[in-house]
Amino acid sequence: MRGSPREPPHLSSERQTLARFVQILSLDTTKFDFYDDNLLRGEARRRGTGGPPSDDAIKGVPAMGYRDDRLVAILADGARRQLSRRGLLRTAAATAVAVPALAGMKGRRAAAAPARQDAAKPTSIKMLYATVEADVEAIKLMIPDFKAATGIDIELDSQPYDALQQRAFAELASESPFYDVMICDTPWTPALTGKLEPLSTYLTNPALNDIADLALEDFIPKVFYDTAVYNASAPNLQFPAQEAVDLAAIAAEGFDVFGLPLQSNALTLAYRKDLFENPAEMEAFKTQYGRDLAAPDTWDQFLEVAKFFTRPDQRLYGTTLMAGNGDWATDDFKTLLAAWGGNGYMIGDEFTIDFNGPEGIAALTYYADLINTHKVTPPGVTSFSWDTASSTFASGLTAMSMNYHSEVLNPGVEGEIAYALVPQQVTRGPHFGTWMLSVNKFGENKEWAYRTAAWFTSAASQIKMLQTQLHPSRASVYEAAKTDPGALAFGNFYEVLGQSLAVGVGRPRLTNYGAVDKEIWVAVNQAASGSKTPEEALAEAAEKVTALLKQEGYPVG
Amino acid sequence: MARLSPAGTTAGGVGTVRGSRGAVPVGRAAIGPAGGADAQARAANRTAWLLVAPAVAVLLAMTIFPAGYLLYASFRSFNLMNPDAGRFVGLQNYQNIASNADIRQSLLITLLFVVLAVGIEVVLGLGLAVILAKQSRENSIAATILILPMAVTPVVSALVWRELFNPNYGWVDYYLQKFGLIDVPIDWLGSSTTAWITLISLDVWQWTPFVALILMAGIQGVPREPKEAAAVDGAEGWRLFWDIVLPLLRPFLAIAVLLRVLEAFKTFGTIKVLTGGGPGISTEIVNLTIYRTALQDFSVGAAAALGISFLVFLSIAVPQLLKVLARNTDLVEG
Repeated sequence: MRGSPREPPHLSSERQTLARFVQILSLDTTKFDFYDDNLLRGEARRRGTGGPPSDDAIKGVPAMGYRDDRLVAILADGARRQLSRRGLLRTAAATAVAVPALAGMKGRRAAAAPARQDAAKPTSIKMLYATVEADVEAIKLMIPDFKAATGIDIELDSQPYDALQQRAFAELASESPFYDVMICDTPWTPALTGKLEPLSTYLTNPALNDIADLALEDFIPKVFYDTAVYNASAPNLQFPAQEAVDLAAIAAEGFDVFGLPLQSNALTLAYRKDLFENPAEMEAFKTQYGRDLAAPDTWDQFLEVAKFFTRPDQRLYGTTLMAGNGDWATDDFKTLLAAWGGNGYMIGDEFTIDFNGPEGIAALTYYADLINTHKVTPPGVTSFSWDTASSTFASGLTAMSMNYHSEVLNPGVEGEIAYALVPQQVTRGPHFGTWMLSVNKFGENKEWAYRTAAWFTSAASQIKMLQTQLHPSRASVYEAAKTDPGALAFGNFYEVLGQSLAVGVGRPRLTNYGAVDKEIWVAVNQAASGSKTPEEALAEAAEKVTALLKQEGYPVG
Repeated sequence: MARLSPAGTTAGGVGTVRGSRGAVPVGRAAIGPAGGADAQARAANRTAWLLVAPAVAVLLAMTIFPAGYLLYASFRSFNLMNPDAGRFVGLQNYQNIASNADIRQSLLITLLFVVLAVGIEVVLGLGLAVILAKQSRENSIAATILILPMAVTPVVSALVWRELFNPNYGWVDYYLQKFGLIDVPIDWLGSSTTAWITLISLDVWQWTPFVALILMAGIQGVPREPKEAAAVDGAEGWRLFWDIVLPLLRPFLAIAVLLRVLEAFKTFGTIKVLTGGGPGISTEIVNLTIYRTALQDFSVGAAAALGISFLVFLSIAVPQLLKVLARNTDLVEG
């Protein structure tokens, strides 16, 4: 693969040498994820999937096209910009050819640039994708259809999360044209905006929207803005208004679109419907708490229900949590922080530290008390990831579980699962984060890469992907999921996921979010394991996060 | 042989080189009559350089240049995703390390892990070696079985360990409860003490056999005569082992400890899989910190400085350790 003729011709610069080094290391570190049972968990979940959706369901997708006249103006402007850019590139290429002595390496790069604009149909498109977290099975399912529609093969390279991030960053840092389309997770995007192709000119060019119905307004606005809309010169900024997808407004505010959302993950609450609807349990609960047993709507109710089902002698506990070291612990915490009325983004727009105030302390105290005071979680919860939380719930050890995806009980466990929004307190703010398909800025088939991203994220494709548990990014797909047999195989999951996305809270946009995230999850884990009080843990994290933000050059408020 | 040596470095082995002023005078003497001798010597030297050139090139490309580049990067603020913003920051990265309490703790717990794990392995390995040193059919079978843990990939062994110590389904808690040793399951990875017990037990399980095999070979190689002479003088049992066998085993102990210490400082996969550095940062050894900094935060400059600091730390610590271990042995000169 590395010997491909499409390898970058210029690997001698500092960044490329380093990036290659990271690539080599990422190959090695793949093994750590490879042996992780995330993959097995993904497979296990997929085994519980239903059959393919009917053709009628696919036909039922409402046809959506451009309905906004303002887009026409953008379209014309986009075409002008593209022409202008082409002209510039041609000039650069001519200069490089005419003055080879001066051009040097840069000349080679410039000369290569027009080739990138070549819209000649490639025989294949190389796609980098996430193995489990963004549901690669959905992509695999659609590859034959894409081939039938376009005649183009998809060369799919899927990687586990850590290896994927290292590969994506190394490829983009080395300005490698190897991948045409790349899946990107939201925490990465602030650091990648300079490396991903801005898509506004593509989105408004009818010639490039010939194989899929783009229907931009069909994307859930909150998902679209949180995932794909960035100001490249100030990637920390959130787009101010998020009511409807509006390309004109995006352009007017100096933002652009850096991908098309595909897998929308949000925290939902899975619970054992068979236990919650068991008459004996219902009666016992009513006797004890004076109200009907139901999926908890508030965190106070959550605690009651969790206490009620905690019976260690029957090997049953109230709930799992994702309190182990990892991004998942931060996601649990920010969900509670938002519910307690705090800023669920944790870092304010003016780079204020918003997670260690009274709301944050109350939220983390509640979280730690679930484990240490009320003991409604199974042993070992302070080392749980999303994956171990899922396998613990699947084994029937808990009555409830918050996670990013639908759940399947192990074959030996008889029961039924239903879903609810994660509870509220002052308000509700489940964590959410969406993946997007982006076009490699340095790719050689950018126009076809865009077409590919548009095709795979189209409503028709996403509806078919429901059977493999894709989490859609479009409103029409959630509508279709109400009657789609593939989606209905997961009970009310899609309905709840759609509602969760509508009220979800994303992540702060920081180029060093990984480092900030780590300090917060360490605090959550320390409080959860009782080694520090919530106040101490959060105060220490706030101090470290402040230092990290300053190191990154952010004006900490 | 001397004629092929460009600077005397390969001539005749280490002993031969010492005291020589280089290959050329020796070469002259060997070639014979003066006049054409200089030219011939120069030609021979050229041949020698040509012959070692590939090795030198590989060494330069694979070791010297990367090491130099690492040092260069450590003086820069350098993020992989924004290399254009990279700039020379002098000792800033090193100052950040020195002032960062987490990194200091990371270095300290790395050292503690190595001392504890290798210490336990040496004691247990010595015990096993004494038992297995008697050459019998049973012992040779046992020695073969002992090799098995070493053959398991560390990441796989960590995944197995994670399940064994799972408080809900793992064998360890199950049997501890079954035998009445504990009432409620222990959350092994939930507190820093038990997490360390889990990590060290894994390292001990995997690497004690390595120490045992080296020491077993040592014990089998102890000459019979001193033991017989001591026995004639009335020494037996523990006294015989302590005063006769153990001193003769010292070189083998030194080798075993040295190899294990070097390996233990490189531990990464098992800890990443088993605890991920948690709970909190209580098991975050320095290798994990370097990994996060370089390959998750992509802060190449900071990671380079940390790597160099760790190298300096090891360069100071390991020779000191060797001096203590290898006293009266041939392992370390001087």
